[in-house]
Amino acid sequence: MTAPVSFSAEQLAEVRRLQALYPDKRGALLPVLHMAQDTFGYISLEAEAYVAGLFEVSPAHIHEVVTFYTLYFQQPKGRHVVAVCHNLSCHLAGAQDILRHLETRLGIRRGETSEDGRVTLQAVECLCACEAAPMAQVNDRYELNLTPEKCDRILEALR
Amino acid sequence: MPKLTIDGKEIEVEAGTNLIEAARRLGIDIPHYCYHPGLSIAGQCRLCMVDIEKTPRPTIACNTSAADGMVVHTQTDRVTETRRSIMEFHLINHPLDCPVCDQAGECWLQIYYMKHGLYDPRMTDEKVHKPKAVPLGPHVILDAERCILCSRCVRFCDEITGTGELGIFNRGDHSEIGLFPGQDLENNYSGNVVDICPVGALTDRDFRFQVRVWYLDTTPSICPGCARGCNVDVHINRKRPHHAGGRRVARLKPRFNAAVNAWWICDIGRHGFGSVDDPDRIRFARHEGVDVPRDEALGLLVTALRDHAPEEIGIIASPDLSNEDLFALRRLADHRGIRHVAFRVPPAAPGADDDFLLRADRHPNARGAEAIGIETDAAPILARARAGGLKVLWVIQHDLTACGWAASDVAEALSRVDTVVFTGTNDNGMSTLAPLVLPLAAWVERDGTFTSFLGRVQRFRAAVEPLGEALAAWDLLGRVLHALGGPAPLGRAELWFRELAKAVPAFAALTYQSIGSDGAMLAGALPTTAPEPPGRRVPTPA
Amino acid sequence: MRNFDRPDSHTLTAYRNAGGYRAWTKAQTMEPAAIVDEVKKSNLRGLGGAGFPTGMKWSFIPKTHTGPVYLVVNADEGEPGTFKDRYLLERDPHALLEGMLITARAIRSALGFVYIRGEYVQPWRRFSAAVKEAYDAGLLGQGFDVVVHRGAGAYICGEETGLLSSLEGKKGWPKIKPPFPAIKGAFGQPTIVNNVETLCCVPPIVERGAAWFAGLGTKTQGGTRMYSVSGRVKSPGVYEAPVSITLRQLIERAGGVSGTGRLKAVVPGGGSAAILTADEIDVTMDVDGLKNAGTMVGSAGVIVMDESVSIPEALFVLARFYAHESCGQCTPCRESTGWIEKMVHRIVEGHGHKDDLDTILDVAKRGGGTTICAFYDGAIGPYISYIEKFRSEFETLCRG
Repeated sequence: MTAPVSFSAEQLAEVRRLQALYPDKRGALLPVLHMAQDTFGYISLEAEAYVAGLFEVSPAHIHEVVTFYTLYFQQPKGRHVVAVCHNLSCHLAGAQDILRHLETRLGIRRGETSEDGRVTLQAVECLCACEAAPMAQVNDRYELNLTPEKCDRILEALR
Repeated sequence: MPKLTIDGKEIEVEAGTNLIEAARRLGIDIPHYCYHPGLSIAGQCRLCMVDIEKTPRPTIACNTSAADGMVVHTQTDRVTETRRSIMEFHLINHPLDCPVCDQAGECWLQIYYMKHGLYDPRMTDEKVHKPKAVPLGPHVILDAERCILCSRCVRFCDEITGTGELGIFNRGDHSEIGLFPGQDLENNYSGNVVDICPVGALTDRDFRFQVRVWYLDTTPSICPGCARGCNVDVHINRKRPHHAGGRRVARLKPRFNAAVNAWWICDIGRHGFGSVDDPDRIRFARHEGVDVPRDEALGLLVTALRDHAPEEIGIIASPDLSNEDLFALRRLADHRGIRHVAFRVPPAAPGADDDFLLRADRHPNARGAEAIGIETDAAPILARARAGGLKVLWVIQHDLTACGWAASDVAEALSRVDTVVFTGTNDNGMSTLAPLVLPLAAWVERDGTFTSFLGRVQRFRAAVEPLGEALAAWDLLGRVLHALGGPAPLGRAELWFRELAKAVPAFAALTYQSIGSDGAMLAGALPTTAPEPPGRRVPTPA
Repeated sequence: MRNFDRPDSHTLTAYRNAGGYRAWTKAQTMEPAAIVDEVKKSNLRGLGGAGFPTGMKWSFIPKTHTGPVYLVVNADEGEPGTFKDRYLLERDPHALLEGMLITARAIRSALGFVYIRGEYVQPWRRFSAAVKEAYDAGLLGQGFDVVVHRGAGAYICGEETGLLSSLEGKKGWPKIKPPFPAIKGAFGQPTIVNNVETLCCVPPIVERGAAWFAGLGTKTQGGTRMYSVSGRVKSPGVYEAPVSITLRQLIERAGGVSGTGRLKAVVPGGGSAAILTADEIDVTMDVDGLKNAGTMVGSAGVIVMDESVSIPEALFVLARFYAHESCGQCTPCRESTGWIEKMVHRIVEGHGHKDDLDTILDVAKRGGGTTICAFYDGAIGPYISYIEKFRSEFETLCRG
């Protein structure tokens, strides 16, 4: 049974501040959904309904936004997200090998989360760091010029 | 007013008219899915593309306003090829469900494929799979694979009902229509999404698997569910009586009327036709619980009306009756001198106006009854009966045992009346109590007019024959009147309407012709327009 | 790229020390119409992908409009092979801010939005810090405000009206046109959407003049631009060059072909550009030069392929990309990007037929020009050119 979804008073003030930045408060929806994900770990249906109330928009339209964008997780994710680019330049630089290496190391397929909840592994589209291919986004950072050894070092540092 | 040419024909239209509408006026059909005149422009289906001179590529017609001097071609080779391409795109992932899909026969993928497609399909890969047979609330069922994502239903829930239950989730060819998980499509207009869905993605749960649409006949009529008078088409299953559970009326669809309901009807009205084919329809006259021939029952009624003083006769008429019915009643009452005639009985549970079409008054003709001069409040008649002042009480349609009057008052009243007569369409508490029962033809079984609460007189039409020996009220009353020394009974509702127009100034300017299929206003009543949809009343961001 | 190698180049101090915000000072003495005129004469063309003349776009704002006008910066860089805006946001954010200030004056805008793709977290932090510096220094907040807005992962938000929909808090569905953004854009008001790099060109144009900028390039496009070079080259990276540079010269500047060392093909303008073969690289890398060569400069993302590259595999990678990123709004793109991905996948896996190649070509050609936005026109660039120019390589994989 999870705790009810809601923002603190400070967070609500931040929501109002963000909403006031836009000519129509709905413009603040993407930033507020990022806030919700950072706070609750992912965006559950309860979170969607809660955010819908903050924007006076039907929950269906919030669900549309959450299901449209790839950075919003609708299910709990790992503590860390490793998103490996598999688009053209990274493919030419061996992205598939990197992905297979990570899958083996983590014991999961791309799209899945490790059993211990530590890492979610994803194959994603162009992250626009092609000059340093193959590469991945690990949480907030870009990890460039990946090799299997570098991947192992990165994984080790993810607790 | 811009003047433009479409396929060589010139036409002048109001500024702001889009090319689909302009072409329609010339009788030219530009195929389309997502466009709907009652909804915002989506421009998503891409089927309505036409060639416009001085424009290098084909352009969608729905989003193009007619401009002066514009020259449009809808039949060029390029337009034809484009339509064929767009049809193929639409059918790439569409499941071949026709044999089990209710929409077959009125499906716009079928219709436009036959007209604009006719190519050999070459999609041999696995199609995208999505949820099928998903109930969306009590009236609508979704098949997401069939959906062509035209977004009409989403726009309807946003712009018309303002309830926003539907959305298009995900991206690309995994896009899917749906409800917010856990919610229902529960607004009072949910059935309209079935009408506007061009394909079998949204279908009516009540109509599901009942009867194939090509067996249905259509009759224009008026919904009798409330005082709004929404225009409808009644779809009758005559040809396959062993389908649809033997029901004659298979379904109702809204009929467009800019002055009343635009393109829409509420769910209560849409699904309110069941009573006409219910087993509890009264088919034959009854006396003391036994079926008797109609003429015998009529004779008993006439006797009751003749052998008692007018002062001792009370008639509680119904605002379900047509203008013709009520005028015939007034003629009878005047002829016989019966003054205790009224029509308004409070309902057991008072209804409420909704924020769009539905009126609290769940009867179609209260305004007509007023205009014709029938007294409104029937409470004095009940009081007189309770006081023992009535020997004959004739109740038309109302079930007094289940209304807003106290049951004990009603029981007392009925016990003190010698002769209780009930005339109605379906059995109810009254029909079991009343010793004399005469059957009434239902609204789909007779011609007539209703007057909406705003004073609009509209024709409803007989779609099927009355069951058993049921008669229209004007017919029954006409016979009674004649038996009481009045003129010979009139044979058609229209003849009664003419009498009504002669006698009641509010109706003086009206004829069945002038009423036509859109209706006409009572004298002195202001012309009406359909109300602004709730979804448009709240200002929405651009 | 003038500031990139300076230490702390992203700070206001470093920017000012290098002469930054002088152009803004000068612009404040110019009439808005004069600024527009200068940019028109410079032949600056949009550097995000469409290559539309920038000054002309600015002049589409209705003169009679009395309400707000918005300046929206497209920092939703997402075209495969492109990374120049990332560098600008991280290393020279004040160049963008100065460009925004001048542009806002030209189009009479009091509010600007910078839409940064959600994945660009470090660039977002860098740029947001620069915005704070600018507010603290009184550069912003004196008639022009900037709102920094993070996206949430959708390539289609790089399409200018898709970006506007996303900015408004909805799915990134492009808007049907007309009306165009300059007439009715963000939140229903006249809006100019410009790419990051395009706006970074504005301060130099104002400071050094339109003639100077125009003279750096070709007859129809002025200036230098930042080419993102990656793939099988020895020194992948960002290279700034006059737009008259040829593709051959650019590859040489990036160290030449790596891998086998023998060039097979080049993507000249981001993933959506039609591919060029090894003997088609003597083209100038400007908008019209590549257009006349049957492709486009787009976002100037150059991906080099040596002879060891499998073109069918490369097409599969892109077909998968387009199917994943199709927003789903209009039928031709939504349905056929997924279908074409399936067909290309089957071919690459060895279960394809030659007929599939003709089907892909026919479907792509039928869909071109029929969609709400140019995403699909971008997708068919590779669908058609990879198969037409390397047909035999595809047929080798096919069964029949």
